Amino acid sequence: MPFISKDWRSPGEEWVKTQEGWEKKKVLECTAQRYPAITNFNNTDDNQQKSWPQEGEDGDKTNDSVARVPPHCHITIKCTREIAGFNGLSEAVRRLDFSSAVRDVRRFNYICALLELLLGGQRLTHLPGAAQKLLLSMLEQLADQVATSKQNLNALRALVVALSALREAERRACWGRPLGSRALWGHHDTAIARINHIANSIRIQEPGPEVVPKLHDLPEECIREILLRISDHRDLDSASSAWNVMASVCSEQRIWRELVTFHFTRQQLEGVLGKEKDCDSKDIDWKKTFHQLRKLYGLREDAQYAETLSLCRHCKCLFWRSLGHPCIADQCPEYRERLKEAGGPLPPHPVPPAAFLKFFSL
Amino acid sequence: MPNIKLQSSDNEVFPVDIEIAKCSVTIKTMLEDLGVDDEEEEVVPLPNVNSAILKKVIQWATYHKDDPPLPEDDENKEKRTDDISSWDADFLKVDQGTLFELILAANYLDIKGLLDVTCKTVANMIKGKSPEEIRKTFNIKNDFTAAEEDQVRKENEWCEEK
Repeated sequence: MPFISKDWRSPGEEWVKTQEGWEKKKVLECTAQRYPAITNFNNTDDNQQKSWPQEGEDGDKTNDSVARVPPHCHITIKCTREIAGFNGLSEAVRRLDFSSAVRDVRRFNYICALLELLLGGQRLTHLPGAAQKLLLSMLEQLADQVATSKQNLNALRALVVALSALREAERRACWGRPLGSRALWGHHDTAIARINHIANSIRIQEPGPEVVPKLHDLPEECIREILLRISDHRDLDSASSAWNVMASVCSEQRIWRELVTFHFTRQQLEGVLGKEKDCDSKDIDWKKTFHQLRKLYGLREDAQYAETLSLCRHCKCLFWRSLGHPCIADQCPEYRERLKEAGGPLPPHPVPPAAFLKFFSL
Repeated sequence: MPNIKLQSSDNEVFPVDIEIAKCSVTIKTMLEDLGVDDEEEEVVPLPNVNSAILKKVIQWATYHKDDPPLPEDDENKEKRTDDISSWDADFLKVDQGTLFELILAANYLDIKGLLDVTCKTVANMIKGKSPEEIRKTFNIKNDFTAAEEDQVRKENEWCEEK
């Protein structure tokens, strides 16, 4: 029997003020469970410092008196109009621990893609104010992360461009001023200015002369190994215009052949080459073939994310695949029995960014 | 567990579990070819690796000793550069010099997993940058002449046409 207080709301529905805006107590409590040291919800600074422990840090897990629950979020799948309010984006963002995901190299690209979808098409402005604030602060953390790591510069640039475009479009949305609360937009403007400032002040430090060996001390086979791991042709192009050794490695057929086999199936390849040509023959210009295929079919989307959100088909719960989640199939023996009769547990369903936003009718 | 002694270029000797040392294909084939007995304690000189790097390599190999072997298939390997475990990411938070020395050591000792993860880390440093930024990141002197640069740009231009 659920506990219902006098005003028909459980105590978890109470709103608490945080730095990023108001949030329900129950949501904050589940986040706080993951960081047992933090009792003060307003102190989000420490919150950002700690990241979720992953494989390899099992040791300190056992020491904690509070059992840590991996980030997960139950969700209503069939989002009809009547129950649309049950899925809140800001709640999901907090419950799924996106703020530490920004700092995780495996989850970074997923978050980027998600933010890009939200910024494009003005989806962001359709969200509640609290969610807008939360997402902007996430974007700020992301900018911060890029500035310190000096990696994924173009991802940040694309986001900043999209953000300015959004701001421009909103500037005169309603009688010469943005639609919605003026205070909220003032808050947004300072956040956007901070993000722009971070993005513009990124300077790449050259390694000093005392740092040896340098990249050009590596033998060509090592350079090749490095370039073979790049999946984006634009990166290959800029690498080859940066340095003549990389240019000569990039002109090798092997690089492009492997890129083709990575992004496209054999059927697609045969379709482009035509039936008469053998796929293993020597006289194929793989670079040309790659670009033909790319224009025809586009690149693989799933290849872009090392880690995606997954949806458990049993408990309708979103979670990060590598971290797992507490599942009904593990906890309830009765349910497990029934599962076994039905032919074993189903694998979790991957949720690409666009599908994730669909849950929130976005 | 039988140990093997690895000697770095600056003559420091590291006793290592033989199973851990065998993650290096170079050492493994050497032991097999020479038929070294497990009983006697052999010292293996590694003239291309200094002690600081060897220490890191052994640290990496010890942590990853129970990993399943990487697939042999070279052609269809994953091209995902962000798929680095958090332990490896922390392990590789080192300066560029150490990173490149680790690549050289992994290449020389033929340790596939270490070579893979270090190359991914460098690839991540290349990703999403303009040529000028790449040059800056690695301190590469621009050795293209203006004409050559034009040539490369022209070659790449047609790819972007839709």
